[in-house]
Amino acid sequence: MPEDGGLALVDAPRLQRAAGLARVGLGQRDGQAVLADLHQSGCAKAFLPRIHGPVPEVVFLNTAGGLTGGDRVGFSLSVAAGTRAVGTTQTAERAYASAGGVARMSVDLAVGQGAALDWLPQETILFDRAALERRTTVALASEARLVMCEMIGLGRAAMGETVRRLWLNDRREVRRDGKQVLVEPLRLADQTLAAGPAALGEARAFATVAMVARGAEDAVDPLRRLAPEGVDWAVSGWDGKCLVRVMGPDLRPVKRAVAQVLERLRGKALPRVWQM
Amino acid sequence: MSEAGLLTLVQWLSPAFPVGGYAYSHGLEAAIASGQVRNAAALEGWIATILAEGAGRNDAILLAEALKPRADLPALASLAEAMAASRERLVETMEQGRALLATTNALKGDDHPPMPYPVALGAAAAPLGLPAGQVLGLYLHAFGSNLVQVGVRFIPLGQTDGQKVLAALHPVIQRVAREAAKAGLEGLGGGALRGDLAAMQHETMDVRIFRT
Repeated sequence: MPEDGGLALVDAPRLQRAAGLARVGLGQRDGQAVLADLHQSGCAKAFLPRIHGPVPEVVFLNTAGGLTGGDRVGFSLSVAAGTRAVGTTQTAERAYASAGGVARMSVDLAVGQGAALDWLPQETILFDRAALERRTTVALASEARLVMCEMIGLGRAAMGETVRRLWLNDRREVRRDGKQVLVEPLRLADQTLAAGPAALGEARAFATVAMVARGAEDAVDPLRRLAPEGVDWAVSGWDGKCLVRVMGPDLRPVKRAVAQVLERLRGKALPRVWQM
Repeated sequence: MSEAGLLTLVQWLSPAFPVGGYAYSHGLEAAIASGQVRNAAALEGWIATILAEGAGRNDAILLAEALKPRADLPALASLAEAMAASRERLVETMEQGRALLATTNALKGDDHPPMPYPVALGAAAAPLGLPAGQVLGLYLHAFGSNLVQVGVRFIPLGQTDGQKVLAALHPVIQRVAREAAKAGLEGLGGGALRGDLAAMQHETMDVRIFRT
C-alpha cells in the first residue's frame, strides 16, 4: 500500500471523501485559560465544554464517523505559555477498509513555555484493509510538559473480526526547542501482522503512554507498582521521558491499563468523554 | 579502494573489534527468560522480525543516510537518539557508537564525536567507498550474528544450530539491506512491538547476564 501514497490517490473518485481541519489555540488572561483561536472546517470539529474550569478540556471530533481511503483530517491544538490544557477526542477513531488510497490524519500540538498539555485521544480501531497515514507532531518549549497516549486496536475481537491486510504508518514526533526528543515511527503492514512473536504475537491491541517533562523519569517507580490485569506491559524512563507500553488481546484491558497509568501519572480523573 | 575498504569494514564489524556488542541482547535475554524464545525456530523468527520490522531495518536506514556524501550527521544522531525505544536501547546504541568511534578515530585520524551506533558506523565508513547495500548487509549480518550468539549462550543451543539459524537469516538480511538502502528517512518505522516491550522488561529482570 505505501506505493499508493503520495498524490496518486487524488485521482481516485472523490465521492464521499471527507476533509476537515479543526484548530484550537488557548491563551491566558488574568490567570484563566481563554480561547484565542478557533477554526473549524469540513468534517473536523472542536468543542470546549470545560473552557471555564481551571484546566480546559478540548474535545475534537471527526463528524465523518471514521476514516477511509482519500480522507484528510487535521486536528491542531496550541497551548500558550503558562497554560494547562487537556485535549481528547469525542469517540474512538475508526479506519475502515480502503477502496483506494490512504486516509491521512495529522495532529499538530504546540505547548508554550511553562505550559502543560495532556493529549489523550481515545483509541483508534483499524479494520481489515484499512490504510491510514497519521502524523502527530508536538512542539514543546524548553520548559513545557506533555503527557500523551495512543491506543490502537486491530478490529474488534469481541465481534470476531480479524485483520489480515493493513497499512498503518503512524509517526509520533516530539520536539523540544526544535530538537527531536521522542520519535516513534510505527509501521504495520500485512507482513507485520504475519510476523512472529517479536512483532504482535497474540496481541491485537497496544498502547503507548509518554510523559515528556523535566524529571519525567521520577514517574517510573510509582508506575511500576501498578498491576494492570490481562495485559503485557512495561515502563522505562530516561532523559526527561517516561514511556509505558501496553499490549493485550483486545482493546478493553489495554484501555483499562492506560487509564490506570494516566490516573497515576496525572493524579486526576480521565477526560469525561472517555468511554471505558 | 573498495576491496581494501571491504576488509576494513569486516574488521570493524568483527566480534573482536572493541565495540562490545556481545554485552547487548537487545531485549532477547528477557524474551528467552519469559519463554517466548525457547528453541532454534523461535530464535530465527524473533531475530528475523527484529531485522525486518525493528531496529535492524531502522538502523540500516539511518546507516544508509549517514553514508551519503554531505550527510547531516548531527541531525541523524539526534534522530537516532530520539528513536530509542527504551532506556537500555539508548545505552546499547550510544555505547557501541562511542566505542566504535574511539577506535576508528584512532586508526584513521578522524575526530568524530560520539554518535549512536548506525550513524557512527556510517560516518566512519563513508570514506571507504563501498556500495551502501554492501555496508548495510554486513552491518545487519553482524547484528543478527550477535543475537544468534545470545541465543546460543542463553537458550542454550549448539554452535551448529546457531550457525543454521544465522544462515537461514541471510535472505532476510539481503532483502532488508536492499530495501533500506533506498528507503530514506520517510521510510523509517517498524512494528517489532513485543521486541520493544521485551527490551523494557529487561530493565527489571532480577538476574541479568546482558546489559540490555
